[in-house]
Amino acid sequence: MVIGYGKGTTGNRRRPIFISSPDDVGRLVLDDSCIINLSGYLVSEGLLSDEKRVAVFLRPEGIRAINILAAESQLDADQIVIFGFDVNDNELRALKGIHVEEFADVIGSIRENNPGFADKELLEKIEKMTAQERFAFWQEEFAKCIKCYACRQACPMCYCRRCIVDSNQPQWVNTSSHSLGNFEWNIVRAFHLSGRCVECGNCDRACPVNIPLRLINHKMAVEVLGAFDHVAGMSKTQEPVLASFKKDDSETFIL
Amino acid sequence: MTKILLIDKLDNCVERWKAAGITVIGPVHRANISVYAAVEHASEFDFGLVLPDRSIKELFFPQTEPMLRYAIKKDTIDTIECMPPSGPRIIFGSRACDASGMAIDDPLFGWDYKDTYWFQRRNESVIVTIACIKADDFCMCTSLNMEPDSTKGSDVLLRPLENGKGWLVEELTDRGQEAFTQIAEFLQESADAPAQTAVVEKKFDLEASVAWLQKPENFDSRFWKEISMRCIGCASCTYLCPTCHCFDIQDEGDTYSGVRRKNWDSCSFALFTMHTSGHNPRSTQSARWRQRIMHKFNYFPGKFSVNSCSGCGRCSRQCPVDMGITETLQEISKLSL
Repeated sequence: MVIGYGKGTTGNRRRPIFISSPDDVGRLVLDDSCIINLSGYLVSEGLLSDEKRVAVFLRPEGIRAINILAAESQLDADQIVIFGFDVNDNELRALKGIHVEEFADVIGSIRENNPGFADKELLEKIEKMTAQERFAFWQEEFAKCIKCYACRQACPMCYCRRCIVDSNQPQWVNTSSHSLGNFEWNIVRAFHLSGRCVECGNCDRACPVNIPLRLINHKMAVEVLGAFDHVAGMSKTQEPVLASFKKDDSETFIL
Repeated sequence: MTKILLIDKLDNCVERWKAAGITVIGPVHRANISVYAAVEHASEFDFGLVLPDRSIKELFFPQTEPMLRYAIKKDTIDTIECMPPSGPRIIFGSRACDASGMAIDDPLFGWDYKDTYWFQRRNESVIVTIACIKADDFCMCTSLNMEPDSTKGSDVLLRPLENGKGWLVEELTDRGQEAFTQIAEFLQESADAPAQTAVVEKKFDLEASVAWLQKPENFDSRFWKEISMRCIGCASCTYLCPTCHCFDIQDEGDTYSGVRRKNWDSCSFALFTMHTSGHNPRSTQSARWRQRIMHKFNYFPGKFSVNSCSGCGRCSRQCPVDMGITETLQEISKLSL
């Protein structure tokens, strides 16, 4: 099977498509409108269980996601054939390689530059706010949340078969979409993605109420970089930063 | 000569209605999204939107609302029923699809049990719809046998004037007439012509699709898996849909007291039909998408003689993976040829 992009409803919309016959290859489209990170489909139930190889079109963020999913034992990286591509200045270029480890250079350069997809202007504006102003900003944004969980469903890292918000024995997180419930959900998600988010922007684009979710994840990525010198998805053997411990850790309280 | 309302006079109307204790609601921008919300002044309205991002549904059926407060004592359980805030409202600048969506849901909420939360709000609201003069690629009211100036569910229909200066007024119900009597002095007689309503292309064959859905053998068609393979299982389509009405009842609190709330729920979620045993009769996303389509175009009309879709197109417009009712019924239309 090949997971790629096809034409969407309108001119520049692209939709994920699944090709399982050579006759359908003509339906594939690849251009600078192919933005959705398709890696999440690889961990949908049953897709990889027959151990057949699956090919998928991925931008560098998507390739990083494969590394994380492999490092977290969610898939066998050898089963994934990567058609890597990137878009710079509206120009599409192919990335050389098939297996995830062959893209180490491309991914390494992300670590150096860490461009992210975050809206820099808004980010700077928020950084300059006082704590009260920042709280008010997120309060207004989270007030819009309707708990449709599009952010979670669109995220390749949200692969839990049963999300904590769907657990009710006990009920850890309020299911209601009131201000407390919305804060709980968005903060829980931010923490669960710390050190794991590849900033592909799937959550942000999926959000039907336009909450700038990627700003939260970007902020957490910056914090994790500063605290642990860790950029997510650098290799398929990279230890998950918040789920591993080193003896020379500067924090002693864990022991 | 017909009655018209000039945009210049709208602020006077808002003032007048507000002075009479009426909450005035309409299409506005709030934190980078468009919604129907209460306004202080007419200048807050944006009538240029094709339609707001979020539907009118939430004014009648909010995403979460308290039903009762409870306190568990040694021998008794005290309960206090919660009702929604009461008071008259005018929703000025609805779209035909949104207004008809509310009328579609009336029989559902009034079926075996009359939902007092829904009907209190319905009875206290006047819906003033503005006929559409523009549409986008996702609008599909005509495919549902409706029009950009359909009157279903509306109390007043306004037709934009060709000169863009206001609207022709058509009072449709007693409630609508009463609301406009209050602003009668701001209306005037005019011979100005209304603008052409939006042209919304027919996108699928509704009758053929419904006939296909009604055939029992198509319940197990391979089509469902193919059409929904890319569905990620979020509730964006159902929560933005004006007619999707499913809800869940949740108790929030501790051992001794809490609140029982009515929250939106969605057939897109795996948890929606999960049994306590762990068995899930809709264990796959394709079964869940099939349910959504079947419910809207087979089961709901079977019970209430109307499709549970008003053609607003929000499901397709906002879908993170570009799915939606339009594509599904287009494909079904082809299958039934």
